[in-house]
Amino acid sequence: MSAAAPTATAQDGLETRAQSPSRLAWRRLRHDRAALVSGGFLVFLLLAVLPGAPLLGKALGHGPNDLFPYAVDVSLKPVGPWSSVPNTSQVPDIDPNTYTQSPPPAGTPRTLFVLGADGTLGRDELLRLLYGGRVSLTVAVGATLLALLIGTTLGTLAAFFGGWVDSVVSRFTDLVMAFPVLLLAIVLGSTVSKNLDDVTVGGTLNRGVLSLILLIGLFTWFYPARIVRSLILSLRAREFVEAAEMIGSSDSKIMRTHLFPHVIPALAVWSTLAVATNIMLEAGITFLGVGIKLPTTSWGSMLAATWGTVLSPLPYNPTTFSPWLTIIPSLTIFVTVLALTLFGEGLREAFDPRGVR
Amino acid sequence: MTTLGYALRRLGASIVLLLLLTLLTFTLYRAIPADPAGFLVDMQKASPDQIAKAEKALGVHTPLYEQYGRYLWRALHGDLGIAYQGTSLTPDGGRVGKAVAPAVVRAAMVTGSLVLGGALLALLISIPLGAIAASRPRSMTDRTILAVSLIGICTHPLVVALLLQQFPGNQWGLAPAHGYCSFFGTAGAPAKLDYLALSQDLGCAGPTAWASHLVLPWITFALFFLAIYTRLVRVRMIEVMDEPYIRTAAAKGMSRSRIVRHHALRNAMSPVLTLVGMDIGLALGIALYVESVYRLPGLGLTTLSALNGDVGFDLPMILGVVLVIGIVIIVANLVIDLVVAWMDPRAAESGLRRSAVGRVA
Repeated sequence: MSAAAPTATAQDGLETRAQSPSRLAWRRLRHDRAALVSGGFLVFLLLAVLPGAPLLGKALGHGPNDLFPYAVDVSLKPVGPWSSVPNTSQVPDIDPNTYTQSPPPAGTPRTLFVLGADGTLGRDELLRLLYGGRVSLTVAVGATLLALLIGTTLGTLAAFFGGWVDSVVSRFTDLVMAFPVLLLAIVLGSTVSKNLDDVTVGGTLNRGVLSLILLIGLFTWFYPARIVRSLILSLRAREFVEAAEMIGSSDSKIMRTHLFPHVIPALAVWSTLAVATNIMLEAGITFLGVGIKLPTTSWGSMLAATWGTVLSPLPYNPTTFSPWLTIIPSLTIFVTVLALTLFGEGLREAFDPRGVR
Repeated sequence: MTTLGYALRRLGASIVLLLLLTLLTFTLYRAIPADPAGFLVDMQKASPDQIAKAEKALGVHTPLYEQYGRYLWRALHGDLGIAYQGTSLTPDGGRVGKAVAPAVVRAAMVTGSLVLGGALLALLISIPLGAIAASRPRSMTDRTILAVSLIGICTHPLVVALLLQQFPGNQWGLAPAHGYCSFFGTAGAPAKLDYLALSQDLGCAGPTAWASHLVLPWITFALFFLAIYTRLVRVRMIEVMDEPYIRTAAAKGMSRSRIVRHHALRNAMSPVLTLVGMDIGLALGIALYVESVYRLPGLGLTTLSALNGDVGFDLPMILGVVLVIGIVIIVANLVIDLVVAWMDPRAAESGLRRSAVGRVA
């Protein structure tokens, strides 16, 4: 250190600089190994799903919805992970005497199926997993944002103005929370979403994504509303809000500049965990046949690949039993949800280290 | 606030919600363009006269509020109407078919078998596990239990269901992988259980068949709640073990296991019970997953098949399920509230709430 730069810390080494709460939280988060690894995985997942999916498709030379009849054997069993498949959409002839497929035309190039084929149609499982991840994550994040928007608005109103707004919101929340969200979502989804399925916002969203976002958002806004309401109720009694009122700040200014920064940490934690539960909810609703419609894939429809649909479950057949088709989406959902949960818990502890573990 | 007043207020609010729910379902379904008359006549070929007759038989020719009022009036008398699916006209302009009330009750028995058995399994394992974890916080045992329960929470119930069905069920043949056998009756007479042939007619009955077909569903159902409740019991136990009366008991020279069993567990249980009540909705959601995968003809599968008909939605069936589920949740919550108020008056006042994490079902 040169003498020309005299800083206070360099001279006595004792002064503590004031640190903002968010900086403190970041410092704690940096030391939380589980949260860091999870965060790293989530970044990797986002990269793999957004730019990664089309890039990989280009590298492999096929898309997620391309059919490869040669990726399925005579008994309709799809090829397993890491197999190379003739790159042709031509359906092989089956020799009835030997019960074998005719070989592909000479000179057909081969293409690699990293995670095997997805079922009787012979599509690339890995690409479908990545494109399905896009859909699942869009639904989960979109629904969380919608719930945040509704919940924060109503929660703030309820806390700030009290009275009947408050009691209506709280009562309603209490009662609806006791009912099975999944059942309501499915009953509502089967009826309403038919009209919304075709809304794709100029092709940016896949079919059915918007209705799932609305559906899940509609049934989960109570949680952020509750958090915001109880936090603001306790904050309103604090001196700094009184002081702001005394100098004549408007209600909306108090909300924006004095109350809101205190609410953000709790909402950030909730959002992370909510994305995790929404991923599970999306998978569940789609699995039960109400969510994302084929041929668009999502993690929920991939889970159902070997199981079929509610009305026509596929029978079990030992010769075509392909457990990886269940295990791959299962593991993906599990790891994603685990990473989000760990990251959310890490955030919670970083913001509030004294909280109960 | 007295316990009775508290219970009465909750009951009143719940009934209002129940009415709102039926009204919502009712109007939603009526708002759909599909004409329920399609269940009785072929809409492409039928004459307007025939359609009018069909609508009259279905009772959908009157204004909406009148239909709703009539529905409520009949529901109060225990008559939930006749399902649309598989219904047919009688010569005198009436309608015959499957009565909703007994069908819903039968489905509720299936769901009840699943949920009660699974919940029992979950509580029987999670309470001791949580207590063990709490007895030495941050020890190796505690951390292991916490980690395993975290894995349980992050695993989708559908994943557990599918893997259990495919491996122990189908591949290894350890337990039946789908279908339901009723508890009552004899094995010889094939029990007619299916609604829209969703579950195969297995032709089995009796306690052994019933239990064996429910083994995998029970485990699936229990695993999810096992994970949640182990953590819950653990946190409550750690809190309770800090209380002065525990120290007093220890000072008296009471053994540690006796303290846990007699003083700590009992006090830790009352908020857990409240949450069991609040989780009935969640449990029915998980049951929906389990029923679909294992093809158990319970409330969830009944709803799904009523929603997935070729002609349209089977409104009487759906309304019946919504009503029954609503009533079960309300009654169960009331009972649990009263039990908790009786066990621990403080808990009733503070009204413990589940932390604000979302739900998967």
